[in-house]
Amino acid sequence: MWGKEERKLFTEVIRSKWFGFSVGLFLLLLILPFFIPRFYVYILALIFVTSLLAMSLNLVVGHGGLFQFHHGVFYGVGAYTVALMLKKTSLPMWTGFIAGPILAAIIGFIIGWFCVRLTRLYFGMLQISLGSLIWAIVFRWYSFTGGDDGIPGIPMPPLLSSSKGSYYFILIILILCLIAMYMILKSPFGNTLQAIRDNPQRCEAVGINVKRYQLIAIVIATFFAGVAGVLFVVLERSVFTELLFWVLSLEIFIMCLLGGWFTFAGPMLGAGIIVALRTFVGIFTEYWTLILGIMLILLIFFLPEGVMGYLEKIFKPRTKEAAKGGSE
Amino acid sequence: MDFSAFSSQFLVGLSRAMILFVVCAGLSFVLGVLRVPNIAHGSLYMIGAFATFSLTKLIPGSAGFWIALIVAPLLVALVSLIAERALFCHLYQREHLMLLLFTFAISLILGDLVKIVWGAEYRSVSAPALLKGSISILGASLPRYNLFLLIIGPLVAMALWLFTNKTKIGKISRAAAVDREMVGVLGINVSWVFASAFVIGCYLAGVGGALVAPIASITLGMGHSLIIEAFLIVTIGGLGNMWGALVGSLIFGLTQSLGVLFWPQFAIVFPYVAVVIVLLLRPKGLLKSVW
Amino acid sequence: MLQVETVVKSFDDFVAVNGANLVVEKGDIVAVIGPNGAGKTTLFNLITGTLKRDKGRIIFKGEDISELPPYEICKKGISRSYQIVNIFPRLNVFRNVQVAVLSQQRKSHQLFQPAKYMVVKETNNILESVGLLNKAHSIAGSLSHGDQKILEIAIALGNEPELLILDEPTAGMSPEETSATMELIKRLAQMRGLTILFCEHDMDIVFSIAKSIMVMHQGRALIQGKPEEVRKNPIVQEAYLGIE
Repeated sequence: MWGKEERKLFTEVIRSKWFGFSVGLFLLLLILPFFIPRFYVYILALIFVTSLLAMSLNLVVGHGGLFQFHHGVFYGVGAYTVALMLKKTSLPMWTGFIAGPILAAIIGFIIGWFCVRLTRLYFGMLQISLGSLIWAIVFRWYSFTGGDDGIPGIPMPPLLSSSKGSYYFILIILILCLIAMYMILKSPFGNTLQAIRDNPQRCEAVGINVKRYQLIAIVIATFFAGVAGVLFVVLERSVFTELLFWVLSLEIFIMCLLGGWFTFAGPMLGAGIIVALRTFVGIFTEYWTLILGIMLILLIFFLPEGVMGYLEKIFKPRTKEAAKGGSE
Repeated sequence: MDFSAFSSQFLVGLSRAMILFVVCAGLSFVLGVLRVPNIAHGSLYMIGAFATFSLTKLIPGSAGFWIALIVAPLLVALVSLIAERALFCHLYQREHLMLLLFTFAISLILGDLVKIVWGAEYRSVSAPALLKGSISILGASLPRYNLFLLIIGPLVAMALWLFTNKTKIGKISRAAAVDREMVGVLGINVSWVFASAFVIGCYLAGVGGALVAPIASITLGMGHSLIIEAFLIVTIGGLGNMWGALVGSLIFGLTQSLGVLFWPQFAIVFPYVAVVIVLLLRPKGLLKSVW
Repeated sequence: MLQVETVVKSFDDFVAVNGANLVVEKGDIVAVIGPNGAGKTTLFNLITGTLKRDKGRIIFKGEDISELPPYEICKKGISRSYQIVNIFPRLNVFRNVQVAVLSQQRKSHQLFQPAKYMVVKETNNILESVGLLNKAHSIAGSLSHGDQKILEIAIALGNEPELLILDEPTAGMSPEETSATMELIKRLAQMRGLTILFCEHDMDIVFSIAKSIMVMHQGRALIQGKPEEVRKNPIVQEAYLGIE
């Protein structure tokens, strides 16, 4: 697997300016739980989970150009699957962890198969309706899913039950998923997906079955959303119907927009900012939604490329585009 | 199953469909002219309901409701006008996704504003004396208020039809929906056309909110549940098509109320199933979209 | 190589193509001319599968391709460039062409190899042959109009086509750019053994390059033949060349 091309990419990544920063950040995150209060460890873990969810959405929105308006459904499916399997069956716990993302990807495939036949707004509307159908069923099936009470008290393996245990598990899984997503975006598939985002008609003309690629992208993205759902349950030990409600889906959209949806790490930044703000603003006022709304308006008017996009514009001088430098 | 239960549910569903229609007609109108799904529509509906509550508290007796029915939607229209002139109109050149996110931002802000002004408790409004009690129709007992809704619905439909087909503003709005550049070329201020369409659509949301006040609990979440239903109705009806909004509302209202007869626990699932079926067979909606 | 047989295509009430016929022999350079609205672009769209015809057949290398989707038709060996620039504006020039090359080599679906170092030689080859190699890392959206039109052709070449369809390849270009581009096209056709089908408004170019000309008018083919025959044909002179 490690051919000449992979080694070249590896060297390039190591030499890039982001790599040093990321490694430093990673080491910092590794030792942090020993120095900060438990509450902050929890918040960081929540940021990791939300980041993974936002990154998974951006695969199909920022890089794929699809109107994935109800991504939260797949997050919820992953979470409910692992919750139900851990709470109601006596199967070994790791089967629940695997079943979550797989079921999310299967639902993603089914919903995606119907949605890719349509374009843009219609794609989004059909997804909202199919997703709302799932929400409605879960919401009402009190006996099985706990209805709008959700399912509390989900058992976890002892290693993951502690604050530090869940933190490290989530961090490791997040890093693994990020590496996978990075490789996917840099691969021919990823490049083709971005070309489809920019000009689906031209892609058809150069021999690409656009709908098939979009469907594959959706399955990948929903798989990662399912992983995020499993991590949510590891962290919170419970599930709620809010995970499947459309408001959350649009919030993830905002995170991608805030961070910068044409960049790789933008959604993570957006997720981090929103979760952090929500937590700390929540200490002072109960009107977080108002603040989020105002932030979104400011974003739309002044920062449509997102924070990351704005930073990239500042730090990437114009001349670099003509030089041999990056091809991204 | 017994006929009176069926007809009672049928009429209840029909009257619920009328409220949905009033709201969805407004949403569809905005969607048709501005080509943006207005997510804030649900919050405006909620403001209509809360405003009705306050007005009925302010003005005692039955008069309170009738006055609220007129004033509350005007308040809602005013709120929407402010949002439109201050912020929205500057975004008309941007991509539609940005406009959609803007309406989402407004819905978030309005949601909390309602919490600030009215607090988080459930509110309720009682129907005016004239419409209290029930009468007997088709062997079932139908609350008078629902009968009132069955009359109002078609009236609103007629008024909207007259407006879009017979008045100058209405006809210009329809033209702008199909070809906004052409309308601009003809010397008409497209921005004002958009503003009027937006305000009228939101006014209808307010009317829906005022109408629903006596028969539903007025809560902070009512906008959120409604907007999804409204979106789905407008989509299955055909984007921007008023009659489509009517058809969609009927499908939605009736499948839910009749669903109660078959499977009460999952009654709310039936409309979604119906929507899914329609969208799988006719993804662009049952009636022709305006664009 | 390509036969279009009485193809009809209408949009609601408007009949865009009304029984058009076209024959393209292997190795030919065929031009389609006609006034605006004659149906040329629609005809090209029908051949490449972007639109589906109502009636008639389109046969390529002996196979009926009338029903195939665009990506299948591309795999059969037909590539096209567009009248209105249709590139990938956010990607750089290299990646614009690379998408096509990856697709041609059936590598587009690969998930875990870095794309940056793949098919570099082939892509650079194409860029060099059209003269865009020195701009490989420029963002496509920032190129001049003339360069974008050349990029159009480069992308189409990425699929190693046998039949290259060019829809007004010199539209919007200055006279120098135009003759340079036509020289380029002639050279490419010779080097790569391409068959070329194009449409143009500039009659000097058409008559200097094309070996066969098809004249389209109101959706149907008035005549197809060698340049001299077309030039002398009275119906053509009246309908089109006279007004031109």
